Amino acid sequence: MKQQVPLVLCFLFGIVMILTEFSPHAASQATYKEIANWGRVISPFVLALAVITLIQTHWARIQRRTEHWQYSVVVFFGMILMVVVGTPLVIVGSPFGPQHPAFQWLFNNVQVPMDATMFSLLAFFIASAAYRAFRARTFEATLLLVTAVIVMLGNVPIGDIIWGDTASNARQWILDNPNLSARRGIILGISLGAISQSIRIILGIERSYLGGGD
Amino acid sequence: MFEKLMNIDRRIVFTLVALVVIIPMLAPFSIPLTVAEPTQNLYDYIDALPPGSTIMISFDYGPSSFVEPEPMAEAVMKHCFDKEVNVIGITLEIQAVPLADKVMQRVAVEKGAVYGEDYVLLGYRPGDTFVILGMGAEIASVFDSDYLEKPITEIPMLQNITNYDQISLLLVLAAGSTVEDWITYGHTKFDLQIAAGVTGVIVSQMYPYLQTKQLIGLMPGFRGAAEYEKLIDAFGSGTKGINTASLVHLLVIGLVVIGNIAFFVQRRREE
Repeated sequence: MKQQVPLVLCFLFGIVMILTEFSPHAASQATYKEIANWGRVISPFVLALAVITLIQTHWARIQRRTEHWQYSVVVFFGMILMVVVGTPLVIVGSPFGPQHPAFQWLFNNVQVPMDATMFSLLAFFIASAAYRAFRARTFEATLLLVTAVIVMLGNVPIGDIIWGDTASNARQWILDNPNLSARRGIILGISLGAISQSIRIILGIERSYLGGGD
Repeated sequence: MFEKLMNIDRRIVFTLVALVVIIPMLAPFSIPLTVAEPTQNLYDYIDALPPGSTIMISFDYGPSSFVEPEPMAEAVMKHCFDKEVNVIGITLEIQAVPLADKVMQRVAVEKGAVYGEDYVLLGYRPGDTFVILGMGAEIASVFDSDYLEKPITEIPMLQNITNYDQISLLLVLAAGSTVEDWITYGHTKFDLQIAAGVTGVIVSQMYPYLQTKQLIGLMPGFRGAAEYEKLIDAFGSGTKGINTASLVHLLVIGLVVIGNIAFFVQRRREE
C-alpha cells in the first residue's frame, strides 16, 4: 500500500497532464490549470524539506563534534537571526519583516558581500589553475587551449584592439558553429533521456523516487 | 629558471589578479567597444515598443552573481522609462527580491518613475515552472499581491494586464538555468517573446536558442551590459566591469602563454 498509492497517483497525474497538452477543450484546460495550482501549493513544502534537512545535518555534526562542528553553530545562529528579523509575526507583536531596516542591513551588508566574495574567489583560483594545468601536452589539449584563448580575447573589447575584428569574428564563429552543434547535441540527449525517464516513472518501471529498492 | 617558472607560487598569481582588478578601479580608463548583434536586437526590440507597453523582467540571480546582471537590469530599465514602457519585476530566485527592489528603486529615482504606475515588483513565489505556467493562464492566480503585499487589484499599471498576452517582452536576467525554463514553458506554450541577460559562464549555452529565435536578444555577461550602456549612452558599472574583465582576461592569457613556453623549453631540455 505504501508503494502502490504513490505509483497510482503518479500514473494518473502523469497521464492526465500529458492528455491536457493535446486537448484545447475547456474541461481539459480547467483540469490542467487546477493541477498546476496544486503543483504550486506543493512547492513551498520543498523549501520546508530543505530547511529540515539543513537542521538535521548540522545538528548531527554538533552532537558528534565532527571536524569544524563550530561552523554548524554559526549556521544555526545565522538562520535563527534571519528568521527572527525577516518574519513579520504581527500576532506576537514582532516589528520585523523583509522590509525592516535590520533585515535589509543584514542582507545588504552581510549576505551580499559574503556571497559575492565566495564567488569572486573563483577568479583567483581559475587564474592559478589555468597557469598550472593549461598545457599543450596533446593535440586535444592544444585545440582546447587555442579555442579558449580565442574566445577569451573575443569576449573582451581589448581583444579587438589587439587583433581587430578577427578576435570577435573568430569567437562568434566558434560559438555559432562547434559550440552550438555540441550544445544542441547535449540538449537533444538530455531531452530524450528526460522523456524516456518520465515514461518509466509514469509507468512505474522506475521507482527509485519511492526511497530505493523495489 | 624555467622549472621555477613552471612551479611559480600561486600567491604571486593571486597578487597579480588582485592588482589587475584593483588598478582599473583606482584609475578608470575606457576601451572602444563594438555592439554585437544579439544585444543590438534586444535594444531595437525595446526601442520599437510603443509608449504604454509593458515588459517583464525576471531577476533570477542571487547575491553571489548580481554584479553581472544588475548593470543589465539598470540599463534596460533606463531605456524603458525613457520610452515610457512599463516594467514588471518578478523573480524565481528567493534571494533576488531585495536586490531587484534596490536596483528598481535606484533607476526609478534617477528617471522619475512612479511605483505602481511605471513599474512594479511582484516578488517571489516558489515553484519555478508552475509559476511560469500559472502566470500564462492568469498572473493574479500566482501573484495576488506585490512584494509589499499590496493587492494587485489596487496597482494602476496592472489593471489591464491579465497574462502574457499583454506582456510585450520577458527579459530573463539569470545566473542559472531559468532561461531554459522560461523558453520551454513561457515561449513554447504561450508564445511569450523572450530575451536574456546572463552571466559570462553560461553564455555559450544560449546560442542554440538565439539561432532558433526562441531568444530575440541576448546580453552576454559584462560585455552585454557594457554594450547596452553604450547604446543608451549611459555608461555605468557594466562598462567599468568589462574594462576590469579585459585586463583579467589578458593576464590569464599571458599566464597560459608563459606557462606553455616554460613547459616546452623544459621538455626540450629533458629530451
